[in-house]
Amino acid sequence: MISLLWSVTIVSLIVTLIISVYGIAAKPNLVKKLIALTIFGDTANVLVVLLGYRVIYPVKPPILPVWKESALQSFLNTAVDPLPQALVLTAVVIGMAVNILIAFAIIQIYRIYGTLDVREAGRFLPNLLRRGE
Amino acid sequence: MKRLIGLIIILTITLGVAYYVSQNLTPQKSLHPLGKFYLKNSYFGDYSAKSPEAVTSIVWDYRGLDTLFETAVFFIAIIGSLTLFRLSKEQSEEAKQGEPKRELPEPVCAVTKIIVAMILAVSASIALHGQLTPGGGFQGGSALAVAPLLIIAAYSKYALEKNGLDKTRAIIIRSIGLLGIALTALTPLLVKGYFMQNQPIFPGKALGAPLGGSLVYYNLFEYLAVGAGFTAVFLLLSIPEEKFRKFLGVKQ
Repeated sequence: MISLLWSVTIVSLIVTLIISVYGIAAKPNLVKKLIALTIFGDTANVLVVLLGYRVIYPVKPPILPVWKESALQSFLNTAVDPLPQALVLTAVVIGMAVNILIAFAIIQIYRIYGTLDVREAGRFLPNLLRRGE
Repeated sequence: MKRLIGLIIILTITLGVAYYVSQNLTPQKSLHPLGKFYLKNSYFGDYSAKSPEAVTSIVWDYRGLDTLFETAVFFIAIIGSLTLFRLSKEQSEEAKQGEPKRELPEPVCAVTKIIVAMILAVSASIALHGQLTPGGGFQGGSALAVAPLLIIAAYSKYALEKNGLDKTRAIIIRSIGLLGIALTALTPLLVKGYFMQNQPIFPGKALGAPLGGSLVYYNLFEYLAVGAGFTAVFLLLSIPEEKFRKFLGVKQ
């Protein structure tokens, strides 16, 4: 039963990844592309955190509860892997900053071209390049 | 109906694959050797970071260089956003012209005042206790950035600017934070240590409070940098649309 739940978690995350990649590629609207991109990033982060999880009971966060050398062994037996959490921690904030950059670009595209559809915005671009020559 | 069928097909395939995979899958019960090393050495041991919180000691000590470059990515992303929305001096003066007024009913504004004070306290606690409890500079800074966002929503951005927190000041605070990180990383070189070295150069304890060596300084500066960087971005985002269209010279 536990291994079924574990595999459902992993497989559903991978399915979410596939769906979000489809969203990035297939949706013409830039905002929808951004939403799919954020879903992709968050799913990847959850997958990385999942790598460090341990399916045991009780499971504890990687923080030393008692600062004595004798408590170290029981801590090692129950704590989860801290490394994936540390990698995800920075990735979340960096992802937010990069999403803000993309959102700014989308807002500016909407202000200048008046459209969020990549097919229509793409038609304006050649004119813009020709004007600059 | 057509969408529902697609959803049901995806769900069935997911569950089927999951059932198939689960027959040959043992859930992970043990630690990776590297994770074990970090857990063992975080507080005791020869390569100690003097912090009981293993995640923070990885972020700013064992993998400090990674975090330094990730901070650089953050810095460049914010700079890119500011560049996309750049304004000339007159334009940014004009963007500040406006009346700070309550845009929402009285109770909402009163509650916002209380919550903003609480957010400031909680975010400082998240950042400054990063070496003891879950949290750190990144999380504290993200929490801090919510406070100006709430003020912008309840009172409009002019209230924030009239009280002295405008875009330039936010960028200055952010630069102070990034400069602090760089200086803390360079400090060990003065006493013939390595770049970003933590122990034994920085004191592990001060006045009985465990500091985790350099971790507390990195967390403090990262807190300032992330919080102020997001504040600058939110201030730019809240410029009214009509004003921005006028600056760009596009018609409505």
